[in-house]
Amino acid sequence: MNKNNRAHSKSDGDTPRIAIIGCGAFTELFYLPAFAKRLDALRKLILVDSSAERLQKLAAENQVSTFRTNYHDVLDEVDGAIIAVPHQFHHSISMDFLRKGVHVLCEKPLAESPDEAREMIAQAEKSGVTLSVNHTQRLFPANIKIKELLIQRKFGQPLQMSYAWGDAFAWPTASGFYFNPKTRKGGILLDRGPHALDLICWWLGCKPDLVLSENDSFGGVEAVAHVRLQSGDCMIEVKLSWLNELSNNYSIRCELAEINNNFLGWWQLPIRHKSGKVEIVPLHSSERDYNDFGLKIVSNFIDVIRKDDAPLIPASEVIPSIELIQECYLKAQRFNLPWYQNLEVPNVSPAR
Amino acid sequence: MSAQHDKQTVLVTGAAGFVGARVVEILHLTGAAEVRAGIRQWSSAGVARLARFPVDILICDVMNKTQVEKAVDGVTTIVHCVLGDGKVNVEGTHNLLEAAKKHGLRRFVHISTAEVYGEPSGEIAETTSYGYTGSEYADSKIEAERLCFEYHTHGVPVTILRPSIVYGPFDKMWIAYFARRLQSGRLGIFKGYGEGFCNLIYIDDLVQGIWLASNHDAAVGEAFNMNGPEIITWNEYFRRLNAALNLPDLPEISPSRARFKAMSRDVIGSTLKVIQSHISERMKKRLIGGIRRTTMGRVADSARSSMNLAVELRELDHVYRRKAIYTAAKAQRILGYRPKFDVNASLQLSVAWLAHHGFLA
Repeated sequence: MNKNNRAHSKSDGDTPRIAIIGCGAFTELFYLPAFAKRLDALRKLILVDSSAERLQKLAAENQVSTFRTNYHDVLDEVDGAIIAVPHQFHHSISMDFLRKGVHVLCEKPLAESPDEAREMIAQAEKSGVTLSVNHTQRLFPANIKIKELLIQRKFGQPLQMSYAWGDAFAWPTASGFYFNPKTRKGGILLDRGPHALDLICWWLGCKPDLVLSENDSFGGVEAVAHVRLQSGDCMIEVKLSWLNELSNNYSIRCELAEINNNFLGWWQLPIRHKSGKVEIVPLHSSERDYNDFGLKIVSNFIDVIRKDDAPLIPASEVIPSIELIQECYLKAQRFNLPWYQNLEVPNVSPAR
Repeated sequence: MSAQHDKQTVLVTGAAGFVGARVVEILHLTGAAEVRAGIRQWSSAGVARLARFPVDILICDVMNKTQVEKAVDGVTTIVHCVLGDGKVNVEGTHNLLEAAKKHGLRRFVHISTAEVYGEPSGEIAETTSYGYTGSEYADSKIEAERLCFEYHTHGVPVTILRPSIVYGPFDKMWIAYFARRLQSGRLGIFKGYGEGFCNLIYIDDLVQGIWLASNHDAAVGEAFNMNGPEIITWNEYFRRLNAALNLPDLPEISPSRARFKAMSRDVIGSTLKVIQSHISERMKKRLIGGIRRTTMGRVADSARSSMNLAVELRELDHVYRRKAIYTAAKAQRILGYRPKFDVNASLQLSVAWLAHHGFLA
């Protein structure tokens, strides 16, 4: 990895100065609790958000002394930036920091298109800094174990995969950027697709071919998306929903065994062998909740800047999933939804 | 049938709810009106549903007069579908009526409920008097109706609709929840209990009624019952939904067994509530865990899920036995309301929706 010549230039001592750009629900629930466990970094943390009210609240609650309403004000002040703004701004804001020689950790999706993502990666290389992305599910011990098992062909060739993630949307979004007609751009495929499709590409070590992409957009953003993929002889099905709960499982059927796990079941891996024997492989994990993984991400980012460690998830690794998402949008068909067919209202003279 | 030429701009309040969202969808997809979808907050599956369409979505918490004022400005019609607690049902309606009065709308359609009649029997027409039951929902809907009538005397062109049981795609109660209950074996043919009338109206028939109420001059100052074309018993509803779901035939459940099970459910439910109220959130998290559940957490989840599906005593005594028919004759006569979806057609579409969304997996 390229050493950033400018790293630490803005820091006194060993701990880098990091700014979190965007102080929405994710920053509050994921990043700030992680920084609370890294007091060295918390002391130098800068919060940035366009809402001064929000900044004051979060800064007071989390003992952060420095905050700004415009990220341009911190471009020359920080060694690293965590980009946690609505996804349509990931590219432009990340680029501004990268051009200034600042390490960037970006929330998923890294970018809205492969071209944007590639431009970001090229800029990071040019500036001699790192660009990484938070795909939290990649850090799950169960998902890491699956990657190992598939690489080793421990259970033979994978024949079938499925991944379903659905629940009634309840993310405490303050800005409503997913749905607000003024800001929305891409629906669940751009929100949860990066997790699901990235895991599949990562597990398989390649980008599968798109067979079918269906969603329920009527000119707005899709709330339900189904994607069918193929990689060699392996058929893959992904179902995502913001409207209701799905099985919330993934399954991977190989020649000799089948893995079937809750997609958030990071601490164990249930494997049913061809013989019928069911084995539950316990995996070491101190994390009790999803947001506990924030500490891993933040600590790694600090060490990337401070010690030149490798990022947990370099941006270049997620390019296949971004390409796949773009293909899904380009080739999307609307589901056959009979309850939207033959709609009518009676013809009646309007009230005056 | 074609849409109007003289296009209205309709503010739908409670647009993320079951009824409100369907009003938005149908008015938008038929091109009948420009729609403004008023929501209380962005964080909701109902908003995700709305955002699939290129319609105007805006924050309109009916308890917030500033938001209401902004949302009402420039609309011709309000379809008030908010379903909240008693305070929201009354004060929120009041806030909207005030704004409607100020802005001089063409029509204010208030979605009320057949529950305003209390627990009557026989054929119920709009002339039947209100029946307070102590239910926060029904009693507050009565108060909201009274406000509507009062504002009508001040010149607000109000129409009240009193739908019976509204069902169809996206219905979490009478379709999704009852399907889950049937799948889990919690429902059957309740001998002695399930012979009351199940007054079902398919959601699109209600939207038809809303559109007629929004446009018909004779609708002003009136209340109309809204019901479907077919009245069946609750046992028959369970039988038909069960068949539409392709499940094995329903067993008969004797009155004593139904009552015993419902009483057991209620006792366990009340006990669990008392225990829960005495445990701090921190202790609760320690005992049951977070995403990563403890053994106790898994047992608690399973018990809660099982209890949630069981039939309550209240249902047996106050819902499934009620022999009331809410006649929509007035709406048919004055508005030309013609419900089109019988129970089987409604269930066919509803079950297709359940299957699409993975409820039947």
